[in-house]
Amino acid sequence: MTRAATKLAINRLIERKPLDDAAVDRFVERLVAGGGAPIIEGSRATFLWRGDADEVSVRHRVVGLADPLVLRRVKGTHLWYVTTDIPEGSRIEYQFEVTRDGHTDSFLNDPLNPKLAHGPFGSSSVCAAAGYHVPDWTQHDPEARPGEVVERTIASKALRRQVTYQLYLPARFRSVIRYPLVVCHDGLDYLNYTSAKTVLDNLIHRNEVAEMVVAFVSPVGDRLVEYANNAPHARFIARELVPELTEQLPISDTPVSRTLMGSSFGGVATVSTAARYPDVFGSLLLESPSLVFTDIGQEHGGGPVFDPVVKFVNRYRARPRRIADRIYLTCGMYEPLITPNRSMETVFRQAGMEVRYVEARDGHNWENWRDRLRDGLGWLHPGDQKFVYE
Amino acid sequence: MRTVLLGPQRFLTTAGTTVQSVAPEGTVATVTAGWQDREPADDELDEVMGGRSRNLRLYERLTDVLETDGHFAEQALSHRDAMDELAGIYSLRLQRALESVYAVARRPARHDIADSAFADAVRDVRDIDAWYLRTVDQLYAELEAKAPPAESEPVRRHREEVAEVLRDAAVLAVAGGHVGILLRCLRLFAVDPPQDLPVVAWSAGAMALTERVVLYNDRGPQGVQGAEVWDRGSGRVRDVVAMPHARRRLRLDDPVHTRVFVHRFAPATCLLLDDGTSVEMTADGSVPDGARVLTETGAGGGAL
Repeated sequence: MTRAATKLAINRLIERKPLDDAAVDRFVERLVAGGGAPIIEGSRATFLWRGDADEVSVRHRVVGLADPLVLRRVKGTHLWYVTTDIPEGSRIEYQFEVTRDGHTDSFLNDPLNPKLAHGPFGSSSVCAAAGYHVPDWTQHDPEARPGEVVERTIASKALRRQVTYQLYLPARFRSVIRYPLVVCHDGLDYLNYTSAKTVLDNLIHRNEVAEMVVAFVSPVGDRLVEYANNAPHARFIARELVPELTEQLPISDTPVSRTLMGSSFGGVATVSTAARYPDVFGSLLLESPSLVFTDIGQEHGGGPVFDPVVKFVNRYRARPRRIADRIYLTCGMYEPLITPNRSMETVFRQAGMEVRYVEARDGHNWENWRDRLRDGLGWLHPGDQKFVYE
Repeated sequence: MRTVLLGPQRFLTTAGTTVQSVAPEGTVATVTAGWQDREPADDELDEVMGGRSRNLRLYERLTDVLETDGHFAEQALSHRDAMDELAGIYSLRLQRALESVYAVARRPARHDIADSAFADAVRDVRDIDAWYLRTVDQLYAELEAKAPPAESEPVRRHREEVAEVLRDAAVLAVAGGHVGILLRCLRLFAVDPPQDLPVVAWSAGAMALTERVVLYNDRGPQGVQGAEVWDRGSGRVRDVVAMPHARRRLRLDDPVHTRVFVHRFAPATCLLLDDGTSVEMTADGSVPDGARVLTETGAGGGAL
């Protein structure tokens, strides 16, 4: 490789003579035409901001990477840049913070980057490192027969209110066979931000996951209370929702056919519900569960909303027990929860459960959880691919 | 007894010429139950069969039985639940036993110690396979006792209709697809062709004619999982593990992998059925000399 080829694009630009805003404009135009910022060169990512500013930084929640990542101005231009190492296969969500005339604008998406990730709190720009590709099974496939999502309501005595939820029924849904049941916390968020319906349609079409019924359930009150080891919530899921679905739909009435899943606090709700009703769900699918604990004292750093979580997890860790047969546990390497989850893997395994633990080069976000669905659902409820020999 | 096993027919169609050579005239009874709800989409197959095919419509018959015989359907679903539970436990035991075999096979040791450790570890796997099949038999016996097919009007009727088509047929052609569904249909409707009826079968159809159906997919989304015994086939061909799509689905370049496969299923021969393969079994249903089979060092035997 020549020396010129190894030099970063931003450095080649800086060395250009003369270097003025017109040259920067041409550089940026080429960049945008080629897919946009940041510039990915091997394991190096260069973030760019163009405009008047006194200070510019990249903000993110990647553990291990400096935050903020402060950009430098290319002398004599309005272009700002910073280069950092991003390992192959990584996916990072970020925003800019720009200070001008004493005023700071935060949460700005990258205007040079068309790739956005969406979540309940808005959108973020996405830095896809070398080797990361949006999985094709997350995109609409016209060949895949679409399932159906119907809205249903259940009167919950435990929660003392009507609960509306979304029910996924696979294509060719028939009453003469029995389906596995997955109950998914933060259901609307999974449908909206992980393309859950598209993912299910595609994976079922490809015989990678079993045809299944999925109940997408969202919190009805304060999520951070309802999902933090809350007895009425657990009773609702295990003693009201599951029995009603099993009675009304052709669903296998065995724990091995039932999975409870959730991410973040929804993961806490999943584990705590299974701990209260260990005979209901044979499998748990946990994505970045907020299973925060302390080994000594109570200073967990998560604020008051984590108090009941820490109390629950500490108690479980003191006396670990089987709460399911199988657990699929995944967490992003770049999120703070990676440390407790690495520890919980061992705790679950030693409690006698079969655990599949997967780390992703990603953070605490919905696209990370979307990207793990194939592996998780395919492991817990494999499709008939191994049976098909055309 | 004439039985011809073929490789996949999707890209290279040899079924038509094979059937023509085995039975130049007469009705070709066909089974496309492995295609499930696409079972009736057999126009192309009929064309390949020279327009003389008659589809046994076993999947449609299965659906009819499940929809019209409530008692049978209930028992069949319970049986399937039990099979799923059994398969889960079998897989759990199997994966651990296979891990042990691979660990032993890859560990450098004095030859005699390594060989005996390997043989012993493989024996554990074979024991688990045998336990699984015994339990499968037990579950089928339970189903037969709780819902005897002879007592189900729709099953009886469909069996008679299927038998009638087979009586008039010059050859039976069994297509591939979902081998689990295919086996279920063949079993329920007692499709057991007489010895003098030639059979041509490919992919899952070929697997269904063996004594022991083995599933495998080293290149699936979950990576190498280890082959799993699934069910008994009709046993028309003997001492054979039929392996369609071997090149696409198996890591034939891993000598440890192939060695384990060969020892695990011995004395049965692992018959490789890739695109274009055509193997006429001997009169007693065994693998003929020169067929392409799996050996300890990979694929061996006759050319494609």
